[in-house]
Amino acid sequence: MAAQDKRVYVLTAKGNAELTSAKTSLGEAELKLLVMIDGRATVEQIAKRMQGADVAAVAKMLQALARAGHIADPDGTAALDIKAFLKEVDSSVSSLQANGFFVRIARRASERPKPGQKITVMVVEDDPQLAKLLRTYLQMEEFAVRVAATREEITKALGEAPRPDLVLLDVLLPDADGFEILEKVRAHPQVKNVPIIMATAKASREGVLNGLRRGADGYVTKPYDMQILMTAIKTVLDLK
Amino acid sequence: MNPPREELDALLAEYRSSLPEKLARFDALLAAGRTAELVQELHTLGGSAGTFGLPRVGAAARAAEEHLVACGRDLDPARRAELERLLGILRHEACEV
Repeated sequence: MAAQDKRVYVLTAKGNAELTSAKTSLGEAELKLLVMIDGRATVEQIAKRMQGADVAAVAKMLQALARAGHIADPDGTAALDIKAFLKEVDSSVSSLQANGFFVRIARRASERPKPGQKITVMVVEDDPQLAKLLRTYLQMEEFAVRVAATREEITKALGEAPRPDLVLLDVLLPDADGFEILEKVRAHPQVKNVPIIMATAKASREGVLNGLRRGADGYVTKPYDMQILMTAIKTVLDLK
Repeated sequence: MNPPREELDALLAEYRSSLPEKLARFDALLAAGRTAELVQELHTLGGSAGTFGLPRVGAAARAAEEHLVACGRDLDPARRAELERLLGILRHEACEV
């Protein structure tokens, strides 16, 4: 049995608020887990209560909830999570510096495009010429493209139907902070599962840590290498 | 799959022809002391120029941006002179394309 299976978590004030809030940002499975956190049940016992759910998958979800501050481990049994997280950050920075991108596991948006409907990529880019170039390349790859440059345009573009299947988000925008936008998207019930790739000029550890902590699905460096960008987008969307 | 060559050439030509206007705007922002906007616009150029196949222009823009960010609000004569030198390099690189 893995050490992580014996971990015991408690609900934090943030987790408790999430459970009692009418506008929770968490998914059904995460909420189900939160309800079972009582400071006594181990990860393995929780998995059993979930009709024999895969222990490793439950452990991973609990680790994510711990990273987000919804739960904590009172006796330090989950302390390794932080180490693992920082290890992931370091490995991501290395990949970003070496390859120009890294992506996490593919995330499925809550709604997939209907048959015949194109996958929509929302590009958040304040340089209109660069946005035009990105649009041209993405359209050639058969994506539908939506461009937003300001906070107001981002809000509007996120709310338009169909919902974007992926957002390419610049870290530094004229009137908005990319990390703040990322955080708001992740807290929004309708769009929280939309995959987000952050675009950054600097492959810094701090930046990657900031993005991963807030739920970014990947990073690409600017200036863009179009081939790398397309690979990153397709990987996050799990497209062949 | 790549876009047709002529379409990319047109976008690149449009980008190149917009550089003098961008540089003039940098000068105007510096003269007006609007350094926060200058940082943003240098950042934008730094991010886009390389994508358009102009890495030296991008690198020069990023050097000027980094210097300005490091200066903060305190742009004393020596730091301003250094910024103007970096903008001069940027101008030179932009003229070369």
